[in-house]
Amino acid sequence: MLKYIFKRILVMIPTLFVTSVLIFTVINLPEGDYFETMVAEMQAQGEKADMSRVEFLKKEYGFDKPPAERYFWWVTGLLRGDMGYSFEYQLPVRDIVGDRLLLTMVVSFFTIIFTWIVAFPIGIYSATHQYSWGDYGLTFIGMLGLAIPHFLLALIFLYFANVWFGTSIGGLVDPQYLNQPMSWAKFKSVLEHLWIPVIIIGAGGTAGMIRKLRANLLDELQKQYYVTARAKGLPPGKALRKYPLRMALNFFISDIGDILPSIVSGAEIVAIVLSLQTTGPLLIRALQSQDMYLAGSFLMFLSFLTVIGVLISDIALAILDPRIRLQGTATK
Amino acid sequence: MRIARRSFLLGTGAALVAPRLGFAGVETLIDSPALAAKVAAGGLPPLSERLPKSPRLIEVAAMGRAPGRHGGTMRMLMGDQRDIRMMTIYGYTRLVVYDDKLELAPDLLESFEVERGRVFTLRLRAGHRWSDGHPFTAEDFRYWWEDVANNKRLSPGGPPQAMLISGQPCRFEILDELTLRYTWAEPNPVFLPAVAGAQPLYIAMPAHYLKQFHQRYAGKEELEQKIKSARVKDWGSLHERFSRQYRPENPDLPTLDPWRNTTSIPAERFTFVRNPYFHRIDENGRQLPYVDEVTLTIGSSALIPAKTAAGDADLQARYLRFEDYTFLKGAAKRMNFEVKLWKRAEGASFALMPNLNAIDPTWRDLNRDVRYRRALSLAINRRDINRVIYFGLAKESGNTALPESPLYDAALAQLNMTPDLAEANRLLDEIGLSKRDGEKIRLFPDGRRLEFTIETAGASTEETDILDLIKQDFIAIGIKIHPRSSQLDVFRRRILAGQTIMSGWTGMDNALVAAEMEPDALAPTSPAQFNWPRWGQYFESGGREGEEPTIQEAKELVELYRSWRHSTTHEERREIWQTMLKINAEQLFTIGVVNATLQPIVIAKALRNVPDNGLYSFEPGAFFGRYMPDTFWFEGK
Repeated sequence: MLKYIFKRILVMIPTLFVTSVLIFTVINLPEGDYFETMVAEMQAQGEKADMSRVEFLKKEYGFDKPPAERYFWWVTGLLRGDMGYSFEYQLPVRDIVGDRLLLTMVVSFFTIIFTWIVAFPIGIYSATHQYSWGDYGLTFIGMLGLAIPHFLLALIFLYFANVWFGTSIGGLVDPQYLNQPMSWAKFKSVLEHLWIPVIIIGAGGTAGMIRKLRANLLDELQKQYYVTARAKGLPPGKALRKYPLRMALNFFISDIGDILPSIVSGAEIVAIVLSLQTTGPLLIRALQSQDMYLAGSFLMFLSFLTVIGVLISDIALAILDPRIRLQGTATK
Repeated sequence: MRIARRSFLLGTGAALVAPRLGFAGVETLIDSPALAAKVAAGGLPPLSERLPKSPRLIEVAAMGRAPGRHGGTMRMLMGDQRDIRMMTIYGYTRLVVYDDKLELAPDLLESFEVERGRVFTLRLRAGHRWSDGHPFTAEDFRYWWEDVANNKRLSPGGPPQAMLISGQPCRFEILDELTLRYTWAEPNPVFLPAVAGAQPLYIAMPAHYLKQFHQRYAGKEELEQKIKSARVKDWGSLHERFSRQYRPENPDLPTLDPWRNTTSIPAERFTFVRNPYFHRIDENGRQLPYVDEVTLTIGSSALIPAKTAAGDADLQARYLRFEDYTFLKGAAKRMNFEVKLWKRAEGASFALMPNLNAIDPTWRDLNRDVRYRRALSLAINRRDINRVIYFGLAKESGNTALPESPLYDAALAQLNMTPDLAEANRLLDEIGLSKRDGEKIRLFPDGRRLEFTIETAGASTEETDILDLIKQDFIAIGIKIHPRSSQLDVFRRRILAGQTIMSGWTGMDNALVAAEMEPDALAPTSPAQFNWPRWGQYFESGGREGEEPTIQEAKELVELYRSWRHSTTHEERREIWQTMLKINAEQLFTIGVVNATLQPIVIAKALRNVPDNGLYSFEPGAFFGRYMPDTFWFEGK
């Protein structure tokens, strides 16, 4: 087992290397760079850009050097924990991301909890009451959440929250609490705003989870061991909890790999529509304006979390389900 | 809740009246109650000691407005952190400013003199202070000129263009602590307009504050320490980061503007508070600005119309478009605001830009033929466009000066603007495009159809709607167009590379022109001019990049522009402007469609003094700037 973990960790290094090359290449693919984007935007509103100043900035940030050199510079920086510099904010990337990370985590955490709370009971219910009215009804509601585009749902929620409850539009707190340290009043304001993104983002995930749980559970419920257990008189609740439910949870453990990065990235589109101060809009804006170190470093951070997440879920699966073999070749 | 606090401030305000010794018509000075506690505690000198000896007197009543009271918070919404520069623009405090007749008047300066167009003597107000209380003197000008503009590290390209005439910098002299002189060998008509611009040329910096970041003044160890803690490369980056005046991101940087930023980046909400040393007062002796605090809340720009409609802004125009008007007007009934419509001041809200530098030789030659451009203009039914898209509220006009400008000429604005299909067809036949195919589309001699794509930056559907109407007009004269919207960067690059045959964009950014303003928009001077980007690039790069203009009229425009840069008198400049406007109108280098379209302005019901009718433009109006937001105030309840 230890050997397996060690090997898995070693494999992460080339994976991350390839990812970093890909990220850097893709970000550099569009013609031009951040400074040209900036000049275009300024001119679009009538402002003049000082071209000699732009040249100066380009040189300052190494844009006169070949991409390979810039790549090397960026990656070695990352290894030292220096995520680079954001041109748009004119601040180190770390300072910008750091501020938004906490809120993103709060939103994502509540969303995951929400998804679980809704999806688990429904999934179990619809598996044990297959083809009943309850099964159809609840699955239908779950599917609605998946089918309606998130941004549309977000707009509808925004409108009604504002008209009915007077919740301020967009953001995670009322404007007067922005830039203020956390207080009870601010926390209440966060809660007041939080339910909208949580429900919207959670709605999509819920349907998927219901379906997976229902399908896996149905498989298990037809197996011999369960039928035998029931036949021997084990009460239905206990029988369910003790065996088939556990078996049906494999997918859930392997999902953990995706949870880590999604906790820090949040749901980008919803966050933009709702104007949340999370990392999602930051990343998209950085990609649009070719603010390359901000975008690149953040994507790298997410890749790193994904790799770690997959590792954790692999280990957890191996522990949970002894039937999973660590090495295909070892046991023939 | 906000209103309650406002009225509290007003309630306690009246008591704070300090006596003042003889000053032009103003007997007493009135300080803002927001500062009263600080003054009483000794944290701030009384108002009489904070103002310059001769503050700038703004006669609010004479402007047709009501003199106001202090207090309140003005809320605005912005789409991006970089938008905090809007406060520098809205505040519109400059050494010299454009007054309501578009003439240059001293603002921060007490007075200025210009001799023979080349010797500029600037006089500061005695006792004028930066927002931290340090005196504003000639030293601040010297610091900028010697230690910033002429410093190799901070300005590797040398002093800015407006400080050079024929490549030669000025001679800078300090006559005394409050008097400065800039002398050029030849006239420099760009200097004062650059200083008065919405995006101004700063020729003074708070030296007492910035010296701590400058290699020449700061102690070596201290500087090292600061470079390290700010995590920048060297002292140059450090100085650059902490000295931004246009985008006031550094809350510690002293300013002369009406409000100063108190929030450091990154932030979602910026609070600007009144500058206790601001140099303007009203006729009652009240120090301006009236409003104590301005907040900018940053959110996604797409949500700003919705947030405005929810009553989240007291003054808002940015990110609102004419298409939001009905929605805002509907919400105004529910919420506490009004929606006014100001006129936008572009030469054309939408203009066709035939690319005279297109790569394809057939199209390029056709675009360069004035008869072709005239035919296009004569084919457009501008009245329909105005009625369909703008409810008939815009003005059908070429891309030229607005009626509010002293250089307006009604004949030029209407030249080639009245639809005349017969004449348009005749012109196209004359060029030799008389053959048509089965679809009635004209054919080039080589058999290609007169069919092309018109590109837009895709900022709004308004542009594509207009182009859809124009499409019908052009089919009537045998030309087929395909409107296509892309993304701003791609759009710009394609045009510069000559891949775009024609584009749709706004006309002159500033059509509120006066003879003293630089006529650079009328001649090929910048690659951002989509009708002749490569000629513009040629001019801007001094001949290193781009192409030299080949057609006579474009060359003439460059010559005229150059002679304006060396002009001495107002008459001379006026004449050059008129000639340039005339050439542009006759040659139709840009084909204007409509101008003076409307800009919705959302104003809280309690906010006073915002004009009902205004002109909304970046240059020279500085958006709200020319209407002095420091004279806006909240009426208490």
